[in-house]
Amino acid sequence: MMAVVIGPFEIPGRLIYDFLHIFILPGFGAVLVLVILIIWAERKMAGLIQLRYGPLHVSRRFGGILQLVADLIRYSFQEFIVPRNVDRIAYLTGPALALIFSIIPVAFIPVTPYVEPPIYISSNILVVLALLSIAPIFIIVTGYASDNKFAFIGSLREAFLMISYEIPFIISILSMALLYRSLDMSGAVDFQARYLPGILLNPSAALVAYIAIIRITGRFPFEISEAESELVMGPYTEYSGLMYGVSMGIGYIKLYIYSMLFSIVFLGGWLPLVSGDPVSSYLIGGLIILIKTSILMLISVFLRSVYPRYRVDQAIRLGWSQIFFLSIVSMIWSLALSYVLR
Amino acid sequence: MEVAGSQDITQELSKEMFRAVETGIKEEGERLIELQIGPAHPGSGHMRILAWVDGDVVVRCDPDIGFVHRTIEKLSENRAYIKTIPLVERPSLLDTTPMTIGYVNAVEKLMGVDVPPRAKYLRTILAEITRIASHFYGIGILAIFLGHSTGFMWAFGDREVMIELATMLTGARITYAYAIPGGVRRDMPQSFPDAVEKGLRYIEKRLKDWEKIFLNNPVVERRLRDVGILKPNVARMLGVTGPNVRASGIDYDVRMVEPYEAYDEIDFMIPVAEEGDSYARGLIRFKEIEQSINIIRQAIKKIPDGEIISPQISRLFNPLMKKIYAEQRRVKLPSLMATLKPPKGEAMARVEAGRGEALFHVVSDGSTNPYRFRFVTPSFRNVILFKYLIPGHRVADIPAIYGSLDYFPPEADR
Repeated sequence: MMAVVIGPFEIPGRLIYDFLHIFILPGFGAVLVLVILIIWAERKMAGLIQLRYGPLHVSRRFGGILQLVADLIRYSFQEFIVPRNVDRIAYLTGPALALIFSIIPVAFIPVTPYVEPPIYISSNILVVLALLSIAPIFIIVTGYASDNKFAFIGSLREAFLMISYEIPFIISILSMALLYRSLDMSGAVDFQARYLPGILLNPSAALVAYIAIIRITGRFPFEISEAESELVMGPYTEYSGLMYGVSMGIGYIKLYIYSMLFSIVFLGGWLPLVSGDPVSSYLIGGLIILIKTSILMLISVFLRSVYPRYRVDQAIRLGWSQIFFLSIVSMIWSLALSYVLR
Repeated sequence: MEVAGSQDITQELSKEMFRAVETGIKEEGERLIELQIGPAHPGSGHMRILAWVDGDVVVRCDPDIGFVHRTIEKLSENRAYIKTIPLVERPSLLDTTPMTIGYVNAVEKLMGVDVPPRAKYLRTILAEITRIASHFYGIGILAIFLGHSTGFMWAFGDREVMIELATMLTGARITYAYAIPGGVRRDMPQSFPDAVEKGLRYIEKRLKDWEKIFLNNPVVERRLRDVGILKPNVARMLGVTGPNVRASGIDYDVRMVEPYEAYDEIDFMIPVAEEGDSYARGLIRFKEIEQSINIIRQAIKKIPDGEIISPQISRLFNPLMKKIYAEQRRVKLPSLMATLKPPKGEAMARVEAGRGEALFHVVSDGSTNPYRFRFVTPSFRNVILFKYLIPGHRVADIPAIYGSLDYFPPEADR
């Protein structure tokens, strides 16, 4: 990549790309804008179905699109109360670390075949899976540190459900890696360019992965650990102000990263991108992935207006019976298919 | 049904109902957690549910009521008879008309006043409109307790249609105080039958949508089926009432057993379900909405012309009141009513309110205030179910059972 010269300084192109990747397109900037838009769209869609307006009054001309910004400002200036009995260090760092480990994988996810992501590891699917499975630990810690019975029960539910849905999720993603004969996302997309998108090659793996994503990110009908009518706010019951806003955001940021992983592994990532120029391929590829990701996110948040939530034992049973079984089936299917496509 | 001694009932209940798991753990600790759900909890309402939880299973559950006790019975002893009419509808704000009808019926029995048939029909129409609104409220609360926000919003939106109709008839949205001793306060406007037909058609159309999104929703079914099963004999012994007892296969409804107002002239049926689980209790409410639509249609068709206030009351009118009554068909209460002194004695009336049977017992000592007014609300009779239905189920079933019972704390606390 070309270096950019500004006066006496010569900035290497690699550095500029890394900055853009982390702070603009798949990174923070895109996350922030997309989360605001998705939450707005979620509320507007729910409003449409539920015969009401949804957000309206903040920036009325644009259909209340800035409502979430207003909410965020309110959260940041609200008094942040730390209860007396909490384990302070765990209480304060828990949501922050969960947020950090939810967003870190973005540095490993490529958006174009012609430029490597900021941190390139050839087995980046595995790294992203590993990093994503760290975040729930901190959610469990926040529930435990809060010294509140509802938060404790909520974090226990989170732990149970995480185990019963993350294992099928990892199995289904790895079965695709097995089919693609690559733990690299670029390799996965290359394979899909040669044959078909992964969702058509192995539909059961896609189904398992999608249901698991809905559960892991706490969307309906699996919004069980934060069930309002039972547990107030689940693990985040004792949080207020900015930390509450952060804890609300974790779910959406996780949804963003998981949807991005899904769109690369199952929906062909940056396909049908053809350009070979690094700059334009970054922009076009990033945009294509963003569109696929946001469509997935929209479907996930839409489920709120259709389904209530499952009971925790029903969800765990579903995870360990049908979903786990399907993930094993998809693994066997991948083995058979990779033998055929050899 | 034979009357059993209290000892037998307790034994029977402990045999039938207590699915409480004997863990041998008496104190709160590693296994047993005492959950205080409420009174400031999004899923509790104005009450506290004390649940002892072993793992995820509730082993004991106590409803703690009385947080919104408003001394309705005592207040009524210190005010004139007609001033208690708005008072009795305060406890159950979603279900006001049956309460006023019940109280007014008791006072009418004391006074020996007859009600003209047109007033009876008007009361019936309003009572059924209120029943639909009340059932929609209960369904909405059940939906949001399951996390189904669409059901919640739809229920409140559809309830609004019924409230608009009631506003047209009475002039108020919630607290109508429509029934007065001897008749009703206003006649229905000219355009009312058409508006009712339009509203009822809309509700019928909506009931089909409700079936799709709520009743046939697989997650709703999984959450409600076989949860909180109330057996008929237990329901009978506990004295449960309303849609909750009809969902257990007992066809008890005051409108049928002891018809009041115009119910004996109207052809309708009482929906009964056999299962007795939470799903049946939700379903019964939808079926009752259908029957209420049927009742309103028939009442609108059959309503006779004539007076809306008993001649015993209207002969006390002064010339201005007579003019208003003749021109606008509105009843102003004559001043004598403020110091109404019914003869010594007592009278009892019962009505089928939205949540079940409500009982009104007025004792008069010949003065301007009731000597004693006993007011038993359906929610108060149903609250005992928390204790017997919830143990053995999971924490997540508490809101599901609560919502399916359509329990309304202010109504129980009075």
